[in-house]
Amino acid sequence: MKGPLAKTAILLVGMYVFLKFILPLFTAPLPASLIFLYLALTFASAMIFYTMSGGSLDEFMGPVGRFLTGSGQAGVAGTARVLVFVLFPLLVGWQTYTKLAPSDLPPAENRTIHPAPPGEFVGLANPYPRTPENIMMGKGLYAAFCSPCHGANFDGKGPAAVGFNPPPANFSDPGTIAQLQESYLFWRIKKGGVGLPVEAMPWKSAMPRWEVELPDEWIWKIIMGEYDGAGQSPRTWEEEE
Amino acid sequence: MGYKKIFSVALGLTLMVTGVEVSGVFASDPPPEGETGSVAVRLFLTEGAVPANDPNAAVWNTIEPAEFKLAPQVHWPDRIQEVTVKSVKVRGVHNGEDMAILLEYADPSEDAADAAAVEFMVGDKMAHFAHGQEMLQVEGGDVNIWYWKKEHGKATNMTARGFKTLRPQESQNVSATGAWQDGTWRVVFSRPLRTGEDLDVQVTPGEWRNVAFAFWDGEIVDGDVKEKGSQKAISSWWYLRAEPPPDNSIYGYVVLGIVLAAGFEFFLVRKIRRGNES
Ligand code: HEC
Repeated sequence: MKGPLAKTAILLVGMYVFLKFILPLFTAPLPASLIFLYLALTFASAMIFYTMSGGSLDEFMGPVGRFLTGSGQAGVAGTARVLVFVLFPLLVGWQTYTKLAPSDLPPAENRTIHPAPPGEFVGLANPYPRTPENIMMGKGLYAAFCSPCHGANFDGKGPAAVGFNPPPANFSDPGTIAQLQESYLFWRIKKGGVGLPVEAMPWKSAMPRWEVELPDEWIWKIIMGEYDGAGQSPRTWEEEE
Repeated sequence: MGYKKIFSVALGLTLMVTGVEVSGVFASDPPPEGETGSVAVRLFLTEGAVPANDPNAAVWNTIEPAEFKLAPQVHWPDRIQEVTVKSVKVRGVHNGEDMAILLEYADPSEDAADAAAVEFMVGDKMAHFAHGQEMLQVEGGDVNIWYWKKEHGKATNMTARGFKTLRPQESQNVSATGAWQDGTWRVVFSRPLRTGEDLDVQVTPGEWRNVAFAFWDGEIVDGDVKEKGSQKAISSWWYLRAEPPPDNSIYGYVVLGIVLAAGFEFFLVRKIRRGNES
């Protein structure tokens, strides 16, 4: 057993060194996933070759093995077998191609849309009562400062919404503010896109940091006006439990 | 557990993982570009000189433009709610040494204060698209801004990291030429791909960079310039890449993959057959 084991190990290491260090001397380096795929194939081949007796392999593979060796197969099964044999290497070749083919697509963006807020903003309650006057004032401020991007209809389609990636949030969509607590909005409005943590890609957000211009009182009232206008209600603490 | 068992398990696992890995080819592609426009500028590889100072060079007409919508800058005072330039078509070429980027946009009048700018993220540190403004949880980097103004007749190579830090660089290595005709500006910016300056964007073929745009309509309305300073049409970050030269090593790798997979099949079948015979 020792011999084959060592041989397999040497083969694998050799293959790895070849793929990882020797090949790149001559051509473009291989992505890790392809190196892994090739090593897995080498490993499986080596194990079959060195370590398993045919009988135990047959036992292990069962009907799959009989299918692959083609013993006693004709017609459909025989054709299927040939197909599998031809397709598998082609699939590996295709996989190689798709992994290496120069992509015209920019890097995938895995932006976290609703990251955790900083501790100091967790659980804050809106200190202003939900009176018609406060809601009205909030809507007026919203119209002045927020509607250019988030839209007069709270749908994220304001005249200044184009040109930004990511686009301004659509508050009438149940996936935005209806999922959030008022304290979360307070954080987002006060600190803006630049207040986001790294996983939310703050450098891309056009959401302004409103604390520079708007007092807290206005922000709380805007939040009221925003929920009211969008026909949503904030997520509450009870729901969170 | 005997060696055989362990090997069987290991073999099974390897086959499973390989299967999952190979089936990755069936995974879906990222969604196509949305109705909002393009997501990236491609600098196509050409031979010979790039049309550095010629907005009307024939080569531009052979290139499919990327198009980006633009928004009025409604945030910082002085804000503006309605801008002249609503979108820009962007084309690019490079020859491995130099690059040229053509901006084409509608502007009904030709004015001395008409201006355009291209902004890039510089280096490894992410920078906010608004002049690299300070981020609160992330340390930001620099932005490199190429600014062209009709009355200057040239480009200014600038740098910024946060508001009130925008300034021209010592190294002025960007050129720009604008041509206005029938309500359309065509402005071409040009520069070597690499400059060796820390504050300049370095463009490496095959690698993605972040790019943003800004435009000012310099028309005189009631004795004053219509759009100036923070009153401008803007975009946030989109992508830019200089196309890499074609790479044929990929076909070698495809053959290698096929040979390995066929070899695996060969060993498998031969072993099982032998087992059956014995
Ligand atoms: C310049 C355009 C712009 C303006 C003006 C603007 N926003 Fe935004 N806002 C955005 C963008 C873009 C996003 C999405 C990116 C992000 O989450 O940072 C956003 C996101 C938000 C979110 C987060 C929603 C969610 O589901 O996570 C809230 C809340 C919000 N804005 C509120 C406001 C309020 C209130 C105002 C006015 C005081 C305002 N915005 C003004 C562009 C803008």
